[in-house]
Amino acid sequence: MKCDIIDSAACLPVVNGKLCPALWRAERKSWKIVHTIAAPSAEFVAVYNAEANDQMVKLMQTRHSGISGLAVANPWYGKRAVQILRKAFEDGLVGLYLHPARQGFKLCEAIVDPLIKVCREYDRPVYSHTGTPVCAMPFQLAELARRFPAVTFVMGHAGYSDFSGYDLIPAAEQARNIMIETSCTGCGVIESVINELGAERVLFGTGYPRSLPGCEIEKLKILNLNPAASALVMRENAVRLWKLHL
Amino acid sequence: MKIIDIHTHFPGHSFGGTPKTGAQLRREFEKEGLDGAWIMTTDGLLKDPVRHNDLLFNGVKNHRDFFIPFCTVSPHDELDDTLLELKRCAHRLKMGGLKLHPWLQAFSLTHPNVAPILRKAGELGMPVLFHDGTPPYSAPLQIAYAAEQVPQTTIILGHSGLDDLWEEAVIACQRHPNIYLCLQGLSAGYIREIINICPVEKLLFGSDGGFAPNLIRSAIVKLQCSGAPDKILRKIFQDNPRRLLALGRGT
Repeated sequence: MKCDIIDSAACLPVVNGKLCPALWRAERKSWKIVHTIAAPSAEFVAVYNAEANDQMVKLMQTRHSGISGLAVANPWYGKRAVQILRKAFEDGLVGLYLHPARQGFKLCEAIVDPLIKVCREYDRPVYSHTGTPVCAMPFQLAELARRFPAVTFVMGHAGYSDFSGYDLIPAAEQARNIMIETSCTGCGVIESVINELGAERVLFGTGYPRSLPGCEIEKLKILNLNPAASALVMRENAVRLWKLHL
Repeated sequence: MKIIDIHTHFPGHSFGGTPKTGAQLRREFEKEGLDGAWIMTTDGLLKDPVRHNDLLFNGVKNHRDFFIPFCTVSPHDELDDTLLELKRCAHRLKMGGLKLHPWLQAFSLTHPNVAPILRKAGELGMPVLFHDGTPPYSAPLQIAYAAEQVPQTTIILGHSGLDDLWEEAVIACQRHPNIYLCLQGLSAGYIREIINICPVEKLLFGSDGGFAPNLIRSAIVKLQCSGAPDKILRKIFQDNPRRLLALGRGT
């Protein structure tokens, strides 16, 4: 990879109630990953959303952190979730992170709509974990994306595992406001997505800690993308989507 | 270090595949870094298992120093016929093991024919490699339920539960002496976790090679990215599969 890489899919581990970027920094230092779009993980995703967002904002404000943070707000908190999300966006977090399996809702349920309206209002993208039945499947994300055509949704992990090779592309064709994130899925799937949907709809992600940067970068190298497509996938799409000023 | 891939497929017409000869496939696999492969039908998981057992046998018969073919059967067929087919594959075709795919073959692990099939496979010295990781038929604990009834049969979870169910696969592997894990299809971070917490003697390398391009190389990279020392990788890539099945069987 000739260009510096932006990772659109890392989750920071939580250690003793604190977001722990050190583990991630150690993991990424061997690779040319210059910036990471990071979400929290574990209990911070499911329960302690406000704490997670506050810690993520502080991390972003750390000099040379190399991190832009995603906000979390469990839709089951209702109005409180909306307030939490508004504050997170006011504080500078760059998008909303959804994990339906951890947060206990189905992607197409209306319970998430108030949060998506906030994203629309603040012009922030939504990254959603996908691939876990019965709550985080590509066609469910497409349904949500069709309800909110002005919001860009990122299909995290490309619906991996068993939705990648089947539902992914037909679902993404239903809603042009869906982008595909590459972590965990196979390189053949990524190649098909680029060929059928276009490289401008693909974002590189490491999927850390579920996956690891080395093998995710190698996966893209195997595809031997042309320089223009590689630049879009590895960096430029992320700069545009997350409004990064690097 | 040599690499034996215990989870590959003989491409057919299904899943957008293109049929290849054994020689073509061997060249591709060797180019991607393999020194041997357990190989299973693709089309036979969808229809006509007996015919596809023959096709697989004939496809790799001149390359038995490289390939160990696995047969398949359908638990929905008459049990007596199924057990006869297993015996034929073991004795006449010298196939090394049995592949079952509860999702594609649409059977529950509680189907009354499953335990007798697994038992017979064990009697014939055939490990059974299951597709796993996808509900509603292929969750690791569903397979563990069947494995518990046939303790003499070696059961391999072909995907270690995949990313959603790998923790169940670990439980199954730790609880049941006859359950092994094939580290195929999982993401690299989970592979690292499994190597750290499961008995390394029960871990095997697989790629799904033959099913789609580039799977073997990226599967090797995943394992190498785990940070496991060479002596562990050697067991996973080479020693463990050789202990379970020797290449050259049936030549």
